[in-house]
Amino acid sequence: MSRRVLIIDDEEDIREVAALSLETVAGWDVLVAGSGAAGILKARESHPDAILLDVMMPGMDGPTTFRELRSLPETAHIPVILLTAKVQAADQKRFSDLGVVKVMFKPFDPLVLAQEIAATLGWQEI
Amino acid sequence: MSDDAAAKIAARLTEVWHISRPTVLERINLLHSSCDRLSHNPDDTEARTEGFEAAHKLSGVLGVFGMPLGSEIASGIEFMLKSDRPLSPGDLSTLRHQIADLDAVIASKADR
Repeated sequence: MSRRVLIIDDEEDIREVAALSLETVAGWDVLVAGSGAAGILKARESHPDAILLDVMMPGMDGPTTFRELRSLPETAHIPVILLTAKVQAADQKRFSDLGVVKVMFKPFDPLVLAQEIAATLGWQEI
Repeated sequence: MSDDAAAKIAARLTEVWHISRPTVLERINLLHSSCDRLSHNPDDTEARTEGFEAAHKLSGVLGVFGMPLGSEIASGIEFMLKSDRPLSPGDLSTLRHQIADLDAVIASKADR
């Protein structure tokens, strides 16, 4: 079953490597956005099966983007995984408490990122 | 995962690294600059924030390109700069050493 995943990250290299990983390893369709605002627009237009969302971004950060996605009827149901560089325990709890499916950490291994996402979301096809 | 997929990812990672390297070096220069400014004025919150943000980005990206040690060092810098505790001369010395270690990690990668 083909899945569609939206990656929202202001770092072009992270977007590219994550997209490469999900397309090549899992065969998923990948959409990318470089900011929270652009990501919300893309999520509303394309209804992805999941969103991989960076935390620290200029303008609208990850938690703010997540809350906005949750407030919109057409995106409220989409599972969101936060992807962030290693953070201290207090921040990790703060992010988990937002209601995201999981907090995953950078650096990720491009060879196993797709499996980790699939396992988190209960997607069995990989 | 097939060997072809792994090879394709490895090849593309090398290409993306060459594109990303200038940005990585720019962030390390920013760390040097932040450290210099903090040495003159440990209360320079702008320098501390800029250094923290640069370290956070480096922490997230270096390991993706096969430099896990670089990510660990950057993460240590990030946590030191994020703390509310005033930076002591000893902290600044540690910071300087950590940034030099990052320089060495990047130089080592560039040589390969």
